[in-house]
Amino acid sequence: MGRLVAHRLLATLPVLLLVTAGVFALLHLTPGDPIDAMMAESVDATAKEALRRELGLDRSIAVQYAAWMGRLLRGDLGRSIRTGEPVIENVSRRIRPSLQLALMAMTVSLLVAFPVALASAVRHNTAVDRAGTTFALFGICMPNFLLALLLIFLFGVTLRWLPISGYVDPLEEGWAGVRSLVLPAVTLGLALAAVITRTLRSSLLDALAEDYVRTARAKGLSEWIVIRGHVLRNALIPVVTVLGLQLGTLIGGAVITEYVFALPGVGRLVVDAVFARDYPLVQGVILLIAVGFLVSNLLVDIVYGWIDPRIRVR
Amino acid sequence: MEISRRDFVKSSAVAATAAAVGVRPEPATAQTPKKGGTLRVGFYVEAATMDPHLSGSKVDRQVYHNVYEPLVTLDTKLGIKPGLAESWSQPDAKTLVFKLRRGVKFHDGTEFNAEAAKFNFERMKTEPKSVRKGEVANVESVEVVDSHTIRLNLKRPDAALLATLTDRAGMIISPKVIQERGAELQRNAKGAGTGPFEFVEWVKDAHLIIKRNDNYWNKQGGPYLERVRYRPIPDDVVKLQSLQTGEIDVIDYVQPRDVAAAKSDKNLVVVDVPSLAAFAYQLNHHRPPFNVKALREALAYSVDVEQVVKSVWLNVGVPANGPIPPTSWAYDKSVPPIKRDLAKAKAKLAEGGQPNGFTVTMTTNNIPINIQEAEVIQAQLREAGITLKIKLVDSATLLSDGNSRNFEMISYQWSGRPDPDGNIYQFFKTTPGTSLNWSGISNPKLDELLDKTREVSNQAERKKLYTEVVKILQDELPMLYTVHPIEPKAFSPRVQGYEPIPDGMMRFKDVWLK
Repeated sequence: MGRLVAHRLLATLPVLLLVTAGVFALLHLTPGDPIDAMMAESVDATAKEALRRELGLDRSIAVQYAAWMGRLLRGDLGRSIRTGEPVIENVSRRIRPSLQLALMAMTVSLLVAFPVALASAVRHNTAVDRAGTTFALFGICMPNFLLALLLIFLFGVTLRWLPISGYVDPLEEGWAGVRSLVLPAVTLGLALAAVITRTLRSSLLDALAEDYVRTARAKGLSEWIVIRGHVLRNALIPVVTVLGLQLGTLIGGAVITEYVFALPGVGRLVVDAVFARDYPLVQGVILLIAVGFLVSNLLVDIVYGWIDPRIRVR
Repeated sequence: MEISRRDFVKSSAVAATAAAVGVRPEPATAQTPKKGGTLRVGFYVEAATMDPHLSGSKVDRQVYHNVYEPLVTLDTKLGIKPGLAESWSQPDAKTLVFKLRRGVKFHDGTEFNAEAAKFNFERMKTEPKSVRKGEVANVESVEVVDSHTIRLNLKRPDAALLATLTDRAGMIISPKVIQERGAELQRNAKGAGTGPFEFVEWVKDAHLIIKRNDNYWNKQGGPYLERVRYRPIPDDVVKLQSLQTGEIDVIDYVQPRDVAAAKSDKNLVVVDVPSLAAFAYQLNHHRPPFNVKALREALAYSVDVEQVVKSVWLNVGVPANGPIPPTSWAYDKSVPPIKRDLAKAKAKLAEGGQPNGFTVTMTTNNIPINIQEAEVIQAQLREAGITLKIKLVDSATLLSDGNSRNFEMISYQWSGRPDPDGNIYQFFKTTPGTSLNWSGISNPKLDELLDKTREVSNQAERKKLYTEVVKILQDELPMLYTVHPIEPKAFSPRVQGYEPIPDGMMRFKDVWLK
């Protein structure tokens, strides 16, 4: 296991290098200038030039990238052009709500997807199955922003059960924090639940058709034990793959949900930073998101081995 | 970034009509104001910095106008009244003398005096990251005459300077705080101001809190509120719903599409705040097709500004005749907006050598209201035979295209300044190199007039000059103006005593909660 992790971590280095270089180049090739964006109403060209020099933005892209890399190797992600705040502080503040939201959304999705998929698979081709499939289709088709606004309207405005926007840290204020994350977690979780339901249902159906299931039934095992012991575990692999891919997306890509619920997460941070052409901040967040994807992929590989011993690496 | 659409709309809005001002929370005199309570304010974005000298973002000013005070301030009619300066005089066109208020203390306990004011002007002029340099460029030097008098010596006459000092450039920060805190002031403004409220804390991405200054120098009226809590809520729909459900008490802006519904909600009070802003399109004078004056005129005669205001803005705004909003003393209502006239447009097309029309590309923001406006204009132009291509970009790209004059017709949104000079001079004065004069207009007669508007200090005379300027602009068409938007703000009925000032800033000194 230790060797696997070390091996995989080493293999991620070239990926990270490529990602950062690619983002750096794309950002600088995009029209727009951070100083212009910051001082839009100022006509003072000399002041702009001075600021550009001070921030090192007058140098060539290659030199700027090398300088950024050099700082990164010393553990320094630089400072935001717009606010002057160290990127690392900004990003670590934003990662908390993003991680909490991702975990809650995943919990919601699993709580919904497992019963629905099981019912669908076990009662294959019945009304229950069709209801489950319809639910999954609905979840996949429903745009995030619309679901978010409908949830807000129902639970926030009409019933007034939950706050409709803003973020409170559950690790600091407990219940109030959980409440502030419920609606966004449900918004993201339902869409994810739909994907997981479909994946799990079809892999359950495959497993149910296997010979060992017939054998187990023939031995006289109860249906529940057959499903728990023989079917479910074998059907989990594709679900873990989906979850692993989605974890990265949930952390970095929940932009619209974060926007609607006024959550200060990573997705909104990177979008705002791109609009402001805040190069160091964009670089920092992208690096973090890339690391997030790589780590979740690594986790997926480890979980594979735990679920199915045949996959364990030599 | 003040010219992004949101900022800009937010700063603006034309109450314009007297009727609009009628719908405001009951005047404070109706009941006796009550002390205490927390006012919860929802803005679309959080502040960028607490240092007024480094601030380039409009929303910052919303906080500043409660924590800091400028030397002079605005009244509801955009007249200038005393602020930290008790009075001022102008012995000659190049000298401005301020008598400063005595007995004013910064929140850190240090005294506000002439030295403090001088220190601030010098910082604005010399600090490398200062965004105020352009605004105080005409100030050659600041002299301390006595402990509470300063004299500004100007490089050249500048009739607009006083109005500039009603905002960030005139705000005085505690020199002690600046020296001791340095860059940290950007995040922590404790003790830094003299205003009716003191900075308490700013938890980034969550909230910013200010509290009542019990030692405020002005003993008339407020501050009444115990605290004000600002929160960023980026989505307009959610922001309005947060107000409706009572999670917050005030929002900074209601989208035109939501205004009718908000006004019919008995649990909300909507105030149409007059604005200084304008939506316009800069026309590139150095590139076809708009290097030909007749074709610019053909464009202007083809666009129906009134219909744009009615169908896109849902009348949450008024048609513009030029850069001066109707809220300004310099607005001349005898000059109408350019009227649509297809016959004239056809004639101008022929005159410009394009009798069958031409194709032009409009660069504009990728934001719903901009897109809608572009599409309505596109349909109007089609009837005149002009084909409009719409190029949608984000605001950073828009700025870089504008600054490099890489456009034919480009959307320009200006948040507006209390003095007309700020809406006019830098856009239309001949300027080599990069400037806000994106159209590249260079007209000697206009240049002469523009300089005159700065030299003359008599308001009536300046108004006449500005009328001439507006007429030249309608003739030369460096910009095609469409609308001066209205900036509706909405309140919970508990909120009392808010007085709308057309700069869009929400000053909470006399606000209280029922």
